[in-house]
Amino acid sequence: MGQIFSKKADEIPSRILLGAIIILTATVAGVWYYFSPEYLDVGYAPEQPVPFSHKLHAGHHDMDCQYCHSNVAVSKQANIPPTQTCMNCHSQIKTDSPRLAKIRESWKSGEPVEWVRVHNLPDYAYFNHAIHVNMGVGCETCHGRIDRMEVVAQKEPLSMSWCLDCHRNPEKYVRPVDEVTTMGYEAENQVELGRKLVAKHNIHPPTYCQGCHY
Amino acid sequence: MSDEVQSSNYWKSLNELAQNKEYERFVEREFPENASELKDGFSRRTFLRMMGASIALAGFAACRRPVQKILPYSKQPEDVIPGVPMYYASAMPFQDALTGIVIENHEGRPTKIEGNEMHPASKGNTSKFNQAATLGMYDPDRSRNVMKDGEQSSFTNFQSFCEQHFGDTGRGIAFISESNSSPTYHKIKEQALSRFSNAQWVTYEPFGEENALEGTNMAFGQRLRTVNHFDEADIIVALDDDFLNPAAHKNSVQNTREFTQRRNVETGDDISRLYSIESTFTVTGSNADNRLRIKSSEIGLFIQALAAELGVGGSSNKFSDHEWISVLAEDLQNNRGRSVLTLGNEHSPELHAMVSSINVALGNAGTTVTYLELPYLDDQNNRDAFTEVVNAVNNEEIDTVVIIGGNPVFNAPADLNFAEALNSAEHVIHLSDYYDETSKMANWHVNRAHFLETWSDGYSYTGASSIIQPQIEPLFDGKSEIEFLNTIVTGDDTDGYQLVQETWRKNISGNFTNGWETILHDGVATEDNFPEVTPSAGGFSGDISQPEQSEGIEVVIRPDSKVFDGRYANNGWLQELPDPMTKITWDNVALMSPQTAEKLDIEKAGLGKAEVDLITIDVNGTKIEIPAWVQPGHADDSITVTAGYGRKGLGRVADAVGVDTYPLRTSGAMLFATDISVSKTGSGYEIASTQDHGSMEGRSLLRHATLQEYRDNPDFSQYEEAYNAELPGEAWAHEQGADSPLTIFDAIDEQEYPDYQPQWGMTIDLNSCIGCGTCTIACQAENNIPVIGKDEVMNGREMHWIRTDRYFAGDVDNPKALHQPVPCMHCELAPCEQVCPVAATTHSEDGMNQMTYNRCIGTRYCANNCPYKVRRFNFFNYTDEFLTDGDDPEVIQMAMNPDVTVRFRGVMEKCSYCVQRVNRAKIQTQIETDGSMKPEDGTVKTACQQACPSDAIYFGDLTDPDSEVSKTKRNNRNYLLLEELNTRPRTSYLAKITNPNPALTQHSTISNNEH
Repeated sequence: MGQIFSKKADEIPSRILLGAIIILTATVAGVWYYFSPEYLDVGYAPEQPVPFSHKLHAGHHDMDCQYCHSNVAVSKQANIPPTQTCMNCHSQIKTDSPRLAKIRESWKSGEPVEWVRVHNLPDYAYFNHAIHVNMGVGCETCHGRIDRMEVVAQKEPLSMSWCLDCHRNPEKYVRPVDEVTTMGYEAENQVELGRKLVAKHNIHPPTYCQGCHY
Repeated sequence: MSDEVQSSNYWKSLNELAQNKEYERFVEREFPENASELKDGFSRRTFLRMMGASIALAGFAACRRPVQKILPYSKQPEDVIPGVPMYYASAMPFQDALTGIVIENHEGRPTKIEGNEMHPASKGNTSKFNQAATLGMYDPDRSRNVMKDGEQSSFTNFQSFCEQHFGDTGRGIAFISESNSSPTYHKIKEQALSRFSNAQWVTYEPFGEENALEGTNMAFGQRLRTVNHFDEADIIVALDDDFLNPAAHKNSVQNTREFTQRRNVETGDDISRLYSIESTFTVTGSNADNRLRIKSSEIGLFIQALAAELGVGGSSNKFSDHEWISVLAEDLQNNRGRSVLTLGNEHSPELHAMVSSINVALGNAGTTVTYLELPYLDDQNNRDAFTEVVNAVNNEEIDTVVIIGGNPVFNAPADLNFAEALNSAEHVIHLSDYYDETSKMANWHVNRAHFLETWSDGYSYTGASSIIQPQIEPLFDGKSEIEFLNTIVTGDDTDGYQLVQETWRKNISGNFTNGWETILHDGVATEDNFPEVTPSAGGFSGDISQPEQSEGIEVVIRPDSKVFDGRYANNGWLQELPDPMTKITWDNVALMSPQTAEKLDIEKAGLGKAEVDLITIDVNGTKIEIPAWVQPGHADDSITVTAGYGRKGLGRVADAVGVDTYPLRTSGAMLFATDISVSKTGSGYEIASTQDHGSMEGRSLLRHATLQEYRDNPDFSQYEEAYNAELPGEAWAHEQGADSPLTIFDAIDEQEYPDYQPQWGMTIDLNSCIGCGTCTIACQAENNIPVIGKDEVMNGREMHWIRTDRYFAGDVDNPKALHQPVPCMHCELAPCEQVCPVAATTHSEDGMNQMTYNRCIGTRYCANNCPYKVRRFNFFNYTDEFLTDGDDPEVIQMAMNPDVTVRFRGVMEKCSYCVQRVNRAKIQTQIETDGSMKPEDGTVKTACQQACPSDAIYFGDLTDPDSEVSKTKRNNRNYLLLEELNTRPRTSYLAKITNPNPALTQHSTISNNEH
């Protein structure tokens, strides 16, 4: 009578162990990567009801961000402009464009255009645009090169660790307040300038919980 | 130092006083048995299975990004900045008195009401009714339709009915109206009366000012409004008058402010002295320096005896030899022209006349008491007129009854049989907020718009005129009383805006638009519109019949401190607010003294056992069954019940709560009924009272002294004085020779606070606090705090972030009552932070004990370790029920403050010092000053502080030595709760100072606590 287990069976436990280690590592790594905001959120570029091109308006025409997002310096919300803002120009330019049909419809009916939210903060987090813009955090720092986007996409993960990168070392990111809306701004020596600006504006970003969570 | 300060003889309930086994077990447990188990037919196993399913679903759902829409305006209104709330001035009518308010409005949604600094009745303060009004507007149970004979109809149909029906101007019409001070309303009323030749107008309020007006009519020959100036008075005698309670006096906010102003010990002057003579233990009585408890039916005798002693008519009776009469008379004589005598509204006109005469005789009229002539008053005794109208309806002299607001089927005197009378009328038309008892009897019901939805106007109690402006389009297309009445008179559906503007065109001189906008902006047009009348010196000399001396038990019927006459019965915030004196939620009870209870063989309210005895009260054959509640300090042989409960089919909150007591109230006995019989039914009833929740077990938490004691020993409130022992702690242990005393706080817990941050602190002045509970509702409105219902309150799960503890002190039959609001103490060395396993509660740089909801896993260790018992746990997903699963989630969602997270099940929460307001102010300051994070003193006000009618709460930056709160911390009355635990609370208290008359032995005998 032969042996029940062949010699190869000796290797089974170690193989199982190896396999288990690989699967566990893969699971952890997979969750780590695929469930992170970097994977899930960055690059999110939903189709909008009106094919508005930031590339054309902010890039080609070089319009200032605050022409449309006019309350960014005074409100916690940067505000999506009312239809009225579109019609300031488009009552005279491209008045028949089919791409603007929904804008004209909204203007006539008074019903809002239903834009799709791109940058969605996690629940329980309160973010205030006004304080960031007034302390010299550029639009570009969080939203990327909007002037090059045909369709707006999320460029940064908006995760808590990403927020804290700047809240812990603001000098690496802040710029003069009048350069806030500039796209492609680069300081010669960011850290040196940053330190000056941090001292000038007395910037102490909160790193305690209820700075943002309440 | 008196024993009073040193002894720790404070008790919250009779069981605590008795210190029985059951009580000790209850206190040790903190929550009643099984409170942490799920019930409501939801077993643990099904819960787990459900949870399993939802976790599995959640796992998949989370992979897909939820698509959210952003809807900007099409045409953005000027001045609106999305994300920045707007503040509009307006006014809240309560009967015929307006209180100026400022409303916080988020993109067209009113969410929070504050007082208007410019309005004389408010001066920035509010009452609990003001605070709860937003929820009243967002109540999904409000009537949504015009109803015709119980069938849904429309306002257009109603309008065409009016055109046709009221085209016949000779009809017999009876208008029954609520009291209302609006000049526009009264203008249309005049039009109605001139157009309809056979019309009668009567104003009916179940609890109103009518008897007081009739009293001045008797005394001075003119119906005049009595205004008491408590800030000018040295001696105040409240005769069964709860003038600090918004349910008992329509000018309570101003009364409270003026009363507490005159009680300020910092000025160095003597403070005023309040005598209270009453049957029920009221909020005003608990703030009295000397309190005498007598039956309401004997108040008349007392006044007569006092009048006789003062030589102002009256007659001698059994009270003439009472020690109080001579002492009171002496004090009043010594303070001529500087005293106020005030009588409860529902007492008879004769007694009101008598009290007015005493005020005139003492020289108070014109100084501390003024009499105002109201431009809009009906020239009749409305109580009598109401009876006559009901008789006329019964005699079929009237064909159409128009009821504008009000709910007389529910609250008219029972002997008038109002409901039956309505059957004899051919047409009944009713305007009301809810499809209520009267609406169900009406042919036409018109749904009324809330005051936050409509244009109107009116006067404050003292005559400041305001315009009421809407904050939102009527949610359910309701009509205001002005629009409704106008439709009846003219047949047109004219907008309230036009009608109000029409009135004001005459009042505004100069440019109308500018004038109109200034009034809207300020919230007040002109003050002092009511001319003051100097009454004749002789005063009232008429004969009044000696009230009969009743021997048996009386029953006193009062408006409820929360639902008033029943109009706020469907307001969950008010229903769940513990009553200031009994701490009962969600019910009305029959209050009686311990001695009366003993006589009737009624058991005291239990602990851990919420069941009390049900009793039957029989007044001339009309019986009600109501739970009995033993209230220390109540007058003997007297039972108090409150009205407004026991509703059927009104709304989800109001239904099946409490007992309807109106059947006991007849036109001859509006305040009290004698010759009653009371018996036990033998069955029990469960009451949710919070009086024993969060007990602090006899430690010296409340410190108070008389003015004299305070002057003798200004440091009486310090630990050493209060306990007559040194403050224990590390320093003390070292002194005693211990090398390394045990402490739960390591040196590592000592946090360094950066100097660029403000350091927040709060002080609560117990000398100002009257215990009304407005702070609790304000906090609830500001911080999205859920309403949890009676069953959960019984389990000790109430969610209020600030509670008001009511303690009794002294003799069980005649105790003193003291109030103490308790929010989170924001300890610098916080015991809760030591035990959180996930660091969900930590300290912020600006010195607050912060609660991070998204970290909390719900172990509840923190609540367990909190010595102040201020942490609240979401046992269930309370908000979910209303916000997403309810019938009308959109309506309730609109009531939420968008700046505060709505918490989920399993999350701990507590007072945050209104961090959303703090952060908003810090950001604003940093932008404006380009760097400073320290807002100017007074810019940040917490919700409780802003709402408080007595300005008892101070909040601000402790690093600023000149801030108001820093000054209070240096005050010698300042003391900390449980200082011996070394938790270093940021919230502290200023001890209470009373001014009792040494000639009265009241409260001076305090038995020492022996346990």
